[in-house]
Amino acid sequence: MSHPKTPHVVDARFMEPPDPFVHTMEMLDTLQPGETMLLLLYREPHPLYKVLRQNGHAYQTELLADGTFEILISR
Amino acid sequence: MSALLSFENAPPFAAPLRFFLSAPLFVVLAGLLLLVDGPSLFASRWMPGTLAITHLLTVGFMLQVMLGALIQILPVVAGANLAQPQRLAVVLHAGLTLGTLALAGGFYLGAPALLSTAAILLGLSALLFVLATGRALLGVPSTSPTIRGLKLALLGLSAVVALGVAMALAIAGGWALPLARLADLHAAWGLGGWAGVLLAAMAYVVVPMFQLTPGYPARPSWWFPVLISALLLLWSVALVADLPWLIRLSEGGLALAGLAFAGLTGRLQGQRRRARADATYRYWQLGLGCSQLALLMLLTASLWPAVAELAGWSLIFGILLIAGGFMPFIIGMLYKIVPFLAWMHLQNQGQARIPAPHMNRILADADMQKQLRVYLAALFLLLAAVFFPDWLARPAGLLLALAGGGLGYNLGAAFRRYCRYGAEIASKLAAIG
Repeated sequence: MSHPKTPHVVDARFMEPPDPFVHTMEMLDTLQPGETMLLLLYREPHPLYKVLRQNGHAYQTELLADGTFEILISR
Repeated sequence: MSALLSFENAPPFAAPLRFFLSAPLFVVLAGLLLLVDGPSLFASRWMPGTLAITHLLTVGFMLQVMLGALIQILPVVAGANLAQPQRLAVVLHAGLTLGTLALAGGFYLGAPALLSTAAILLGLSALLFVLATGRALLGVPSTSPTIRGLKLALLGLSAVVALGVAMALAIAGGWALPLARLADLHAAWGLGGWAGVLLAAMAYVVVPMFQLTPGYPARPSWWFPVLISALLLLWSVALVADLPWLIRLSEGGLALAGLAFAGLTGRLQGQRRRARADATYRYWQLGLGCSQLALLMLLTASLWPAVAELAGWSLIFGILLIAGGFMPFIIGMLYKIVPFLAWMHLQNQGQARIPAPHMNRILADADMQKQLRVYLAALFLLLAAVFFPDWLARPAGLLLALAGGGLGYNLGAAFRRYCRYGAEIASKLAAIG
C-alpha cells in the first residue's frame, strides 16, 4: 500500500493489538536513513510514541475527519 | 523484543485487578439486599433499600471498575503517567470499598454516622483520584477527543461526588436542602458528566480496537464531551436560578446527544470486521439497546414532564440506564481488558522466549456467554418486577446476585489461570537458564 506522503505504509486500522506495534517496528527496521513511514490507526498509540522517542525517531500526527490518526515517522 | 518495550511502564496487574475482583461482590450484595427485602424496594426510588442498591451498583460496581481501569489505561490512551499507580490503587480501593459499604449501610439502616463516614471516605477518595489524574493529565495536550473527554470526565466526577457528599451530610445533619431536585442533578452529573463522558472517551479507543470497527468520526467526537458537560452546567445554573423549563431543555439536549452517540456506536458496530458475536459484542449490543430506550424515556419526560409521575417510570428508567446500559458496557469491557492484561503480563514475563497462552485460554468465551445469559435473565426480571413486585422482586434479586457472582467467578478464574501460567513460564525460563 502506498500513500502521497510516503510509499511505506502500515494500515493498522483493523488490526488487533499488539499487531500495529509489531508491524510498525518491523517496517522501521527496513527503512533507510532519511526515509519516512506512515502508520494509520483509529487511536493515538501513546506506548509506541514513547518507544519512538526513546529510539530517537521523530513523528508527526494528524487526525483526519473519519477518525484516522496518520502518524508520519522518520527513520 | 522491541514489541515488548511498550508495556514496560504498565502498572503491575495487581493495581487494576483489586478493583475488578471486588466490584462484582457489590453486585452480589445488591442482589442479596433485594432478595432479603423483596417487593418493598419497588415502591419508589426513594426507599432506603432502593437507594442502597442504586449506590452498590453505581459506586460499588461502576465507579470501582472505572477508577481501576483508568489507573491502568491512562498511560496507554492518553500518555499520562501517574506518579505512583500502585500506591494510589491501594489507598483508593480501600477508601472506595469502605466508603461504599458505609453509604449503602447508612441508607439502609438510616444511620447518620454511617452516611457522614461515607461522605468523608468517598469525598476524599474522589479528591485523591482527581488530584492524581488531574496532575498527570495537566501536562498532556488534548491531541485526541479521548484526552479531552478524560479531562472533562474529571469535572463530572468532581461534580457528582461534591453533590453526593453535600446531600449525604445534609441527610445526616438534618440540613434543609432541596434533596429531590439535587438528587436528579447528582444522578445527571454521575451518569452523564462522569460515566457518559468517560464511556465515550473510552469507546473512541476500545470499540475500534477490540471490535475491529471503523473509527468514530473526529468532529462529533471532539464535541460530544463538551456538549454533555455544557448541558449539565446549564442544568446546574437552572436549578440555582429556579428555571424548570431550562432544566427540561438540558434534559432533552442530554437525551438527544446520548441517542446520537449510541446510534453512531451501533452503526460502527454494524460495520465491524469481526464476524463472531463474542460476549463483549453482545454486552455492548444490550447496553446500546437499553440505554437508547432509557434516553427515549428521558426525552419524552423532558417534553411531557407529567409522564415521569407515572407509577414505575423512574424505576424503569433507572434500571434500563444503570443495569441495562452502563453495567453491560462495563462488563463487556472487563471481559476484554482482564484477559488482555493477563496475556500482556505473561508475554512480558516470558521475555519473548516463552510465548503467553492465547487470551481465550485465560478466559473462554463460552464462560462469559454463560454469565451473560444469567445477567440477561436478571435484567428482564428486574424490569418485570417493577410491574409485579410481589412475585418477581426476590427472584430478580437472586438472579442479580448470581450474575454478579458469575462475573466475579469468571474474573477470579482468569486470575487463577494467569497465576498458573505465570508459574509455568517461570519454571520453563529457569530450565532454559
